Amino acid sequence: MRNSQPESPVSSISTQLPGAHAPAQLTQLFESLRPDLLRFAHWLARDRALAEDIVQESLLRAWRSRDALKEPGAARAWLLTIVRREHARLYERKRLELVPLEDVLETQASPRLAEPDGDLFTLHHAIMRLPLEYREPLVLQVVGGFSTEEIARELALTPTAVLTRLFRARNKLRVICGMAAAPDSDGEGAA
Amino acid sequence: MRCEEARLQIGAEPGRADPALEQHLQSCAACRQFREEMRTLDANIRRVLEGPPEPEPAAVGAGAAVRLRPRIRPPAWRQWALAASVTLATFAVLALWLLRPGETLARDVVAHVRDEPESWLAAQHVDAASIDAALRGAGVELKVTSDKITYAQSCWFRGHYVPHLVVQTARGPVTVLILRHEAVSRRHEFHEGGMTGVIVPDGTGSLALLARGAGNIDDIARQMQQDVRWLPQGT
Repeated sequence: MRNSQPESPVSSISTQLPGAHAPAQLTQLFESLRPDLLRFAHWLARDRALAEDIVQESLLRAWRSRDALKEPGAARAWLLTIVRREHARLYERKRLELVPLEDVLETQASPRLAEPDGDLFTLHHAIMRLPLEYREPLVLQVVGGFSTEEIARELALTPTAVLTRLFRARNKLRVICGMAAAPDSDGEGAA
Repeated sequence: MRCEEARLQIGAEPGRADPALEQHLQSCAACRQFREEMRTLDANIRRVLEGPPEPEPAAVGAGAAVRLRPRIRPPAWRQWALAASVTLATFAVLALWLLRPGETLARDVVAHVRDEPESWLAAQHVDAASIDAALRGAGVELKVTSDKITYAQSCWFRGHYVPHLVVQTARGPVTVLILRHEAVSRRHEFHEGGMTGVIVPDGTGSLALLARGAGNIDDIARQMQQDVRWLPQGT
């Protein structure tokens, strides 16, 4: 894990792949999308240094399979997908994730009213604490702009399951923001 | 459609406007209110997710350990005071939001693009003649090379025919509506249904740009402002 500001991932790709010459357009394209990728990875991993590592590794993978990118216009969705899979790989390698007990209790507690100038702050923390199964489709939808069908394909779920997860994600956030939970057909509590 | 289905759909995709859902909402005030609340919440979720996820909650990332720390709870009266403040602030913001003409225009732009979902699926570039046809009557010329444009139509929008283009960019397809008759005083950014948009003043009217996902499309807007040339009225 890196704590210092990383060098440009694309320039480091070039140095890590001797002999490979990065076409200027592709380099520029990757660099222009890097902030989006980093934000996306950060919301998945909840750790900036980890997100930077994920993005770096994803750009390396993307560079190696750059021939698969036929249309520059598809680059953003393609790279976001690679970032998500890279994060999933990391998750598989590192299954144990411990969180502060009070954070868990707080997330599952009764509705908490947002502070006047802190509702976004509350929401921010609430999203951070959403279980990955709910946070991931939400981030894919909102940050990635993926449709329900695209999220279903990416997560190997049915579209109905994706809709349910998106509904539950927002329902949980709704409760944390002090609103009443909507009834859940499967009986799962919102909080 | 039952309320349960309606709320599942609203909760999953608050920005979506499905005909069956709209029909249900016409006769169900509770679901209408639920959608309004969800859309307000979703706008805030979008604002949060589009920013960097800083500051992080203390060590919730991988490898964090379970620990306990003392907490100081605020007195109960403070929560009620805060609730009243939040309610008043919400109404004030909602009222301002509803009254802003930029928001109404933004909604119409989003609704128009939703009505033409095929526009973002086009992969082949449009020939110059089709682009000319889309621009004809709108009083504009474009410097954009036709190989970047994958969709070009002249669409009926707010009482006028306006050019509706989809331009391929590094961040994917971006819709551009050239709005000669919609003057705006300043840049207006908006987010809805997984899309990001911006309306910028240009010429005597404005340009509306819309892209999928989050992110900043100001650079594309600036480029379009350079590429669009407004012709004198009547030419």
